[in-house]
Amino acid sequence: MNRTIPILSLTALLSVAAVACTDPTVAPKSTVTSANIFNDPNSYLAFLAKIYGGLIVTGQRGPDGNPDIQGIDEGFGEYLRLYWYLQEMPTDEAVIGWNDPGLPTLNTGTWDAGNSMVNAMYYRVFYQIMLVNEFLRQSTDAKLAERGQNDPVLINNVHQYRAEARFLRALSYWHGIDLFANIPLVTENDALGATPPQQAQRADIYAYAVSELNAIIPDLPTGAPADAATYARATKAAAHMLLAKLYLNAGVYTGTANYTGAVTEAQAVISAGYALEPNFRHNFSSDNNTSNELVFVAAQDGGNTQTWGGMTFLIHAGCGGSMSAGDYGIDYCWGGYRMKQQLYAMFDTTGNDTRSAFFHTAGQQVNVDNIGDYSNGIAAPKFTNKTSGGGNGQQTTMVDTDFPIFRLADAYLIYVEASIRGGGGANALTYLNAIRERAYGNTSANFATLPPVDTILAERGRELMFEASRRTDLVRFGLFSTATYLWAWKGGIVGGQALPTGRDLYPLPGNELIANPNLQQNPGY
Amino acid sequence: MRRFHHCMCALLALSWIALPLQAQQPTSTVRGRITDHSSQQPIAGATVAVAGRSALTQSDGRFTITGVPVGPATVTARMVGYAQASQPVNITEGEPLAVDLALVPQAINLSEIVVTGYGEQRAGNITGAVSSVADSQFNPGRVLSPQLLIQNKVPGVQVVDNNDPGGGLSIRIRGATSATASNEPLYVVDGVPLGTGAGGGLSAGRDPLNYLNPGDIENITVLRDASSAAIYGSNAANGVVIITTKSGKGRSGAHIEFNTNASASQVTRVPDMLNAAQFADAVATYAPTRVDSLLGQNTSWFDEIDRTGYGQQYDVSLSNGTGDMGYRLSLGYQKQHGIISASSVDRLSLGINYEQSVFNDRLHVSTNVRGARSVDKFTPGDVLGNAAAMAPTQPVLNPGSPTGYWDWNTTNASPSNPVASLALASDQGTTWRSVGNIQAAYHASFVEGLTANINLGYDLTKADRQIFYPNNLAAQVRQGQGYLELRNNSQGNSVLDTYLDYTPRQTYGPGMLNLVGGYSYQQSHAEYPLLVERGLTSNLLGDNGVPPALNVTPTKTVTDYKLISFFGRANYNINDRYLAGISIRQDGSSRFGPSHQWGTFPAVSLGWRISQEPFMQGVGGLSDLKLRASWAQTGNQAFGDYLYYPTYTYSDALTKVQIGGQFITTIRPSAVDEGIHWEKTTAYDVGLDYGFSNQRFSGSIDWYQKNTSDLLFNVPVAAGTNLGNFVTTNIGQMKNTGLEFALSMKVFEPRPGRVNWDASFTASHNSNELVGINPSKSVARILTGNISGGVGNLVQVLQPGVPINSFFVFQQRYDAQGKPVYDPGTPTNMYVDQNADGLINDGDRRPFHDPSPKWIFGHTSYLTYGKFDGGFTLRAYLGNWVYNNVASALGAYQNLTGSAMPANLQASVLKTEFIVPQYYSDYYVEDGSFLRMDNITLGYSFNLKNQPLRLYGTVQNAFTITGYSGVDPTSGLNGIDNNIYPRARTITTGLSARF
Repeated sequence: MNRTIPILSLTALLSVAAVACTDPTVAPKSTVTSANIFNDPNSYLAFLAKIYGGLIVTGQRGPDGNPDIQGIDEGFGEYLRLYWYLQEMPTDEAVIGWNDPGLPTLNTGTWDAGNSMVNAMYYRVFYQIMLVNEFLRQSTDAKLAERGQNDPVLINNVHQYRAEARFLRALSYWHGIDLFANIPLVTENDALGATPPQQAQRADIYAYAVSELNAIIPDLPTGAPADAATYARATKAAAHMLLAKLYLNAGVYTGTANYTGAVTEAQAVISAGYALEPNFRHNFSSDNNTSNELVFVAAQDGGNTQTWGGMTFLIHAGCGGSMSAGDYGIDYCWGGYRMKQQLYAMFDTTGNDTRSAFFHTAGQQVNVDNIGDYSNGIAAPKFTNKTSGGGNGQQTTMVDTDFPIFRLADAYLIYVEASIRGGGGANALTYLNAIRERAYGNTSANFATLPPVDTILAERGRELMFEASRRTDLVRFGLFSTATYLWAWKGGIVGGQALPTGRDLYPLPGNELIANPNLQQNPGY
Repeated sequence: MRRFHHCMCALLALSWIALPLQAQQPTSTVRGRITDHSSQQPIAGATVAVAGRSALTQSDGRFTITGVPVGPATVTARMVGYAQASQPVNITEGEPLAVDLALVPQAINLSEIVVTGYGEQRAGNITGAVSSVADSQFNPGRVLSPQLLIQNKVPGVQVVDNNDPGGGLSIRIRGATSATASNEPLYVVDGVPLGTGAGGGLSAGRDPLNYLNPGDIENITVLRDASSAAIYGSNAANGVVIITTKSGKGRSGAHIEFNTNASASQVTRVPDMLNAAQFADAVATYAPTRVDSLLGQNTSWFDEIDRTGYGQQYDVSLSNGTGDMGYRLSLGYQKQHGIISASSVDRLSLGINYEQSVFNDRLHVSTNVRGARSVDKFTPGDVLGNAAAMAPTQPVLNPGSPTGYWDWNTTNASPSNPVASLALASDQGTTWRSVGNIQAAYHASFVEGLTANINLGYDLTKADRQIFYPNNLAAQVRQGQGYLELRNNSQGNSVLDTYLDYTPRQTYGPGMLNLVGGYSYQQSHAEYPLLVERGLTSNLLGDNGVPPALNVTPTKTVTDYKLISFFGRANYNINDRYLAGISIRQDGSSRFGPSHQWGTFPAVSLGWRISQEPFMQGVGGLSDLKLRASWAQTGNQAFGDYLYYPTYTYSDALTKVQIGGQFITTIRPSAVDEGIHWEKTTAYDVGLDYGFSNQRFSGSIDWYQKNTSDLLFNVPVAAGTNLGNFVTTNIGQMKNTGLEFALSMKVFEPRPGRVNWDASFTASHNSNELVGINPSKSVARILTGNISGGVGNLVQVLQPGVPINSFFVFQQRYDAQGKPVYDPGTPTNMYVDQNADGLINDGDRRPFHDPSPKWIFGHTSYLTYGKFDGGFTLRAYLGNWVYNNVASALGAYQNLTGSAMPANLQASVLKTEFIVPQYYSDYYVEDGSFLRMDNITLGYSFNLKNQPLRLYGTVQNAFTITGYSGVDPTSGLNGIDNNIYPRARTITTGLSARF
C-alpha cells in the first residue's frame, strides 16, 4: 500500500492540474490587435497613410509579399495599375502583348465577368471604401474621448484626416460608378461583417460623392504647388478637380449634364495657384514632386514606397524593343505597352509638338498587326525615372516618379470642353491655347476660335495620353463601344468593329454576384 | 478528508455484509497458464472461463479465477487468432485447481497487438480500418524519410515525395479533405503528437519527420478510417499515422546491431529541351536578328548541373531486455548527395529507449528520447529553371567575366547561367530537433483491471536557414543586386496526457468491457525571426554574416497554440464475435474565438466476426471473416493561428507612405471572420476482413465516404462587408468516396528448404468532389495553381461539382494531322467556344481532369530460398493528370524574341509551332498514369564466426512506364510539373550484422 500512495497522490495532482487547465484562449503577441492599436495617437495618421497608400502600394511588404487583396498577382493588383489597364487598353491609345490573365481580352474589348483585372479593380475600389469607413468609425470624437486622447492638436488633425479620408472614398466611388455603374453604397454607418449590401443606383452614388466633396472642402487644407506639407494629399483643389470630373461626366452617370458645374469647379482648380510646367515631361519625371502643375498624385519613392504597380509598371512596361533601359533610369525594359496607330496619328510628329518628342520609332512599326510583337506600334515612353534635368532616381528597379492623378492641364481641358458644350465661362480659348503653347513652345499652333468639341477629344488624347483618362473620355463622346470610331483590334479584329453591347461598362465580378445575391449584373454580361 | 474516511468505512462495512451472502454456495479457485501450442510462449490477454466465471491472462500467461462453484465444469480458453481449447474438470471445494492449456494458432496475425490511440487492441478485434506495417515489411533501400517505408504498403494511402533527397513528403489518406487547411495526417511518435495540428512539425530543411531514423522504427500503424482516428478529435480528419520505435523489450540479452549501406543515384529524366542545332535553327527562323548573339557551342545544361549522387549510412544500436527492464540505444549517420549538384542531406541521429517495470509489474515506466541534427543543402532556386531555359549554344565559362561564368550581357530579364548559380549561390539549413517523452502505466491494486496512464512529452526544434545570392550573379546584376535571407525558427511543443484504462477481468453482461477516459493538454510556442537583405554591398561574408545592404527587412512572428481535450472510449466484445466501439473527444483549440473553441467528435463502430459463428466453422477453409461498419466525426484545425482575431499589420520599411514630406509607417486592419470554427468530416466506412487457410490468404475490402462540411475557405466576400476581398470562413463542403482492397498471401505453403513467397496487393480508388463553396451551391469558382510563365497565371480551380484543383483550361482544337491549331487572329479556331458567344475569354475555360490518382495499385513480393531473400515493389497510378509547365512556358517561339535574350525551347514547340505561349491550352494537361518498379532487392544471409550477417543490394526506381512527356508523373501533389527536381534511380548495397 505504501507504494500506491505516492502514485495516487501524483494522479490526484494531475487531475487537479487537468481540471484547472481548460481555457484554450491565446492572444496574439507579435501583432497589434484592434483592442490596443488606437491607444497609440500615431495610429490615426498611420491608418490614413494606409488609405493613401492603397492607391499605389499593394500590401504591407515592399515591393510585394503581404498583399491587401487576393485573387490576383500582387503586382497586377495595384489600384492605379488596374485603373490604367481598364482606362487605356481597350481604347485607341494602348496595346500590350503580354498573355497574362485578363490582359488579352482587355486589348480587344472582349472581356467577361471572369476577367481577373476587372474583378481586381472592383475589389480595390471597395477595399479603399471599406478602409475609409473603418477609419471614420475609429476616429470619431467620441472614440478619441473614450480612449483618453484629449490632445487638442491631435483632435484637430484627426478632423482634417477624416476629411481627407472622405475625399479618398469619393475618389474611389467615382472610379466605381465610372467603371461599373450600379454598385453598393456602403458608408461608415454600415457595420462590418453584416449581410451583403444592397445595390445602389449610379446616380445616387454620384449624388453622394458630390455631397461628400462639398461637405469636406472646408476641412481640407488649401494646398499649394509643390508644397511639401500638402503634397500627395487631398486639398481643396483636389476636391474641386474631382467635382469637375464628376460634373463633366454627369450626363453619363445621371442622364443630366452639368457642364456649368464642371466649368465652375475647373475654374476653382485653375485659380488655386497651380501653373503649367514649361517642360511638359517634368510632370512625368522622377522629380515631378517639384512640378507646379500636379494637383493630386500618388507618391512613390524608390527607397521607401515600393510597388510593382503605378509608375514602376508604367516606366518599365513602356520600355522595350531597341530602347536602352538606362535612358529611362531603370534596370530593364518589360516590353509592355505601345501606341495604337490611331493614337499615333493624332500627333504632329514633325518635331513641333514636344508631346511627341520622346516617341521611340527605331525598330517599331506604326500599325499594330500583331499584338504579341512589341515592334508593332510606336513606343511612347512618356514616363521616366530620370529627373527633368537628366539625373538618376534613387535606384533603378523601384522608381521615384509620382503617379499624376490630377494635373492642371486636365482642369484646363475640362473647362474648355464643358464650356464648348454650353457650360459658360469666358476663358476657354485662353486655356486651350495655353495648352497648345506649352506643347509647341510658341503660338504657332494656337486656335483662333474655339474648335468643335471633337477636337478637344483629340487634344485630350495628345495631352493626357496614357494618363488613365481615355476610356471615360471616349464613353462621354459616345465613341467607346460603337462602330462610329474604330481602332486596331477593337472588338477582336485587326481592323476594328463595334464592341458587344454593354461594353461601356465593365461587368460586376462573377464571384461577386454569388457572394452578394442583391446584385444585378450590368446589361450585356 | 474526514468525510471521505467515513464513506470508505461505510463501503467496507457494506462489503463485509455482502460477502457472506455470496459465500452461501461452496466455491473454489482455478489457476493455470495459457501458452501457444507451437511456440510454447505464454499468451497474454486470453479469456479463460469456467462455470460462468472468467478472467484474462497476465503477461506471463497466468490466470486466476476465484469463486468457481464446485462440481463438474469445463475450462475454456479463448484468444483471437487461436483455436479455442477446453478441458473438463471437476471443481472441489477449498482446493485450488491447476489447469494449463495450450492454444493452437489458427490465424496468428489476428492476435497481434496493434497500437491505437491511447491504447492497443488485438488486430482481430479492431472494428475500424487500421493497417499496421512492421519493420520486416518496410520498403528496402536508401530511405531517408519514414513515410517512404510504407509507400505502396497500405491501401488508401498515397505517399508523395518531391524527389529531393529527403525532400518534403506528403501523405494523403483517403484523399484530401480540405482546400485551405493541411491535408497531412497527424503523426504520433511513441505517444507524442507532432506538429501543432496535422503534419510532421517544423523543419528548416526538408521533411520534418527526417529527425526520425527509419532504422529505429519498429512499426507504423495507419488509422485510415475516421472511427479509429476520432479519438484524436480535431486533428484526425486526415487520418493518423502512429509510429512506434524499437525498444529493448523482448530481446533478452545484450545485442548489438549494425547496418551500413552505400548508394549511388543517377538522373532518370530531365525536361525535353531543344539541342544546340535545333535551337540555332529556331533562332534563325523566328528571331533572325538574334543569330549573331549565338556562340555555336553545344552545351547540355542539365549535364552540367547533374551528377551521380553518392550516399552512405551507418546505424548501430545496442539493446538489452531482461525480466523487468529493457533499453535500446541507437546512433545513426546518413549522408546523401542529391543528383543535382549542391543538394545534399547529412543527418546524425541518436535515440534512447528505456523501460522498467517495478512493484511486481504494477508500475511500468518507459522513456523515449530522440534527437537529430540534419544539415540540408539545396539546389539554389533558380538552377533548374535556368538549366531548361539557358541557350544550349552558349558556353559555360567565360574567364573574362567577373564571375568566371558566361552570361548574357544584357540588362533585360534573360535566362542566366545555372552553373554560376550552383557555384556561387547557396541555400542551406540546419535543423536540430528532439522529441521525447516519459510514460508511466500503473496497474491499480485496489481495482483489478484499472490502469492509470500518464504521458509527458516534448518536441523541440531549432531550425535555421540561410539563402544567399551574391550581387555579381547575372540575374542579381539585373535586379536585386544580391539577396540574403536568414531564418532562425524555433518551436517548442509540450503535451500531457493522462488517462485511465479499465479492463475488468470479469465479463459485464455477456461480454468483456474496455473503458478509456482521459485528458490531454498540448501547447506550442514558436518564433520565426527573419532577416531579408537586398542590394548587398559585399559578397565576402557569404551566408555567414550580415553585410551592409540597400534594403534590410527584419521581421519576427511569434505564435502560441493550445489544445485541451477530454476523451473517452468504450469497447465491448462478446466472445470475440460481436464487437462494438464508441468514442468521444471534446477539443478546445486556441485557433478559434471564445464562443467557437470547443468541438465534440464522436465515433461508433461495430464488428461482426462471422467466422466465429458456429455455422461458419470450417466453411471453405475460412479462418477469418469480419464485417465492420463505422460512423465518426473528426475535425481539422491545421491552419494558421489567430485567423479569427482582428489585428493590425504594420507596413515594412519599403511600403511607407509619404505624407507631409515624411514617410509614414502604415497600419492595415485584417479581414477576419470572428466566428470561424472547425472543419468537420463525417465519415462512413464499411469493411470486410477475410482470411483463408489459416490466414495464408488474408486481406480486407473497404468502402468509405467522407463528407467534410464547414470547410474553411478563403473566399471572396461580398464587397462592402469586410476589410478585404477574401476572408477565411467556414463555407464549403467536400466529399471523398473510395474503395480499398488488400490481399496478402503466402503463394506456396510454407515449408523449410523450399521457396517461400509472400505477395501482397493493394488497390485503392478515391474520387473527390468539391460539393459547394457557398451555401447556395451556385456556380462560383476560385482559381488556384500558380504556374511559371507570364505573371499570375492560374490553371486550376476550386469549383463545385468537380474534384479540388481540377485543371481549368481551354479545349484545344486539333487539325486533321493531330497538330494543335495555332491561330491567334481567330481564337475560336484554336479553342472550343464553350459558351458559344463567338469570343474566347475566361468563360470558355472549363474544368478538365485533376492531379490526384483515381486508382493506386501496389504490389510487393518477398521471396526467400535458403540463404537468399529477394523482393520487389511495383506501383501504378491511374488517372492522375499533370500540367506540363515546362512545355507550356517554354514551348513557344516568343521566348526567342522580346527584350530578353532568347530562351531555350521545350521540344513540344516543334509540334505545336506556337508563337505566343498558350498557358491555358489543355494540350499541356497530360495523363500521368504510370507503372513503376519502386524497388528490387536481393539479400544473402550467412554466419561468420557464428554471427549472423546479411548482404543485400537494392535498386530503387528501377523503371517507370508512362505516357507522360515531362520529368516525373508523381512529383508533387498539385500536378504542376514546373522545373521539378528530377527523379533518381538509386542502387544501394549494404550489410547488416547482429552480435
